[in-house]
Amino acid sequence: MWTYEKRLQFPVNIKKTCPKTASLIISQFGGPDGELAASMRYLSQRYTMPCKEVAGLLTDIGTEELGHLEIVCAMIFQLTKNMKPEDAKTAGFDAYYIDHTSALWPNAAAGVPFNACEFQSKGDAVTDLFEDLAAEQKARTTYENLIRIIDDPDVLAPLKFLREREVVHFQRFGEALEKTKLKLDEKNFYYFNPEFDKQFAKA
Amino acid sequence: MAERTQLLEQIQQIGFQIDDLTLYLDTHPLDREALDSFTQAKNQRYQLMQDYAREFEPLNLYLVCPDTNNETGSYCKYPGQKHFTWSDGPLPWDNQGGV
Repeated sequence: MWTYEKRLQFPVNIKKTCPKTASLIISQFGGPDGELAASMRYLSQRYTMPCKEVAGLLTDIGTEELGHLEIVCAMIFQLTKNMKPEDAKTAGFDAYYIDHTSALWPNAAAGVPFNACEFQSKGDAVTDLFEDLAAEQKARTTYENLIRIIDDPDVLAPLKFLREREVVHFQRFGEALEKTKLKLDEKNFYYFNPEFDKQFAKA
Repeated sequence: MAERTQLLEQIQQIGFQIDDLTLYLDTHPLDREALDSFTQAKNQRYQLMQDYAREFEPLNLYLVCPDTNNETGSYCKYPGQKHFTWSDGPLPWDNQGGV
């Protein structure tokens, strides 16, 4: 169950219209390392996690990612809400405008639509936690790529906040992996899959 | 307007402390210092959310109280009428709502 809180996790107040910037940031909404993939990844993986604390962490990080999705969408919305027809012709935004006007629709910066194949829920705790660690690093790199080429301080502040959260989530997933290992055979972490071969898992 | 922004910023800051402490406590459930910080932040947030709902709009459904919400009548479509105050206030993604 979720309840909505009518505020953003971090303030977004962008004054300057810039569809070009929106067309780049949108990758963190519906792109391969975006917040939609992140939230769906963690919220899908948690059910079969053998370690209850890790399932709890996936719930809490997955929930925070939904809040990040909202921040990214608020940024895109504010960058495009006062667009004029001339602004919509901006290279990189023109094709998106034809299909979605100034509405929000999850796709990557290069125009590839969001696809569930951008994340995995493999049903093996070690595999999934490594996927999560990699996902946080890939999202960090994407935020750094954005921060490197964007100048507007109103856009940079939330991007820097979101980048920092990727680092914190990476740290927490590392701890979750260590906790999961305690349930495994320390002589061979791959001796069994704790999400399927439950008879071998340590209590 | 200044007071709305100021109070919302305080809620965002204390809310973030709770978000960050939650993830830490998920993997360090016995850390006494973090537990104390969590409890302190949670109580502070509760008070701020109550104050904000009284002066402005309720930020979650459970703070909706048509008789006491939004004393300042800001961002309100039905001033002076008893109404569902959940619809008061700016949208979070609007410039005024995000700050």
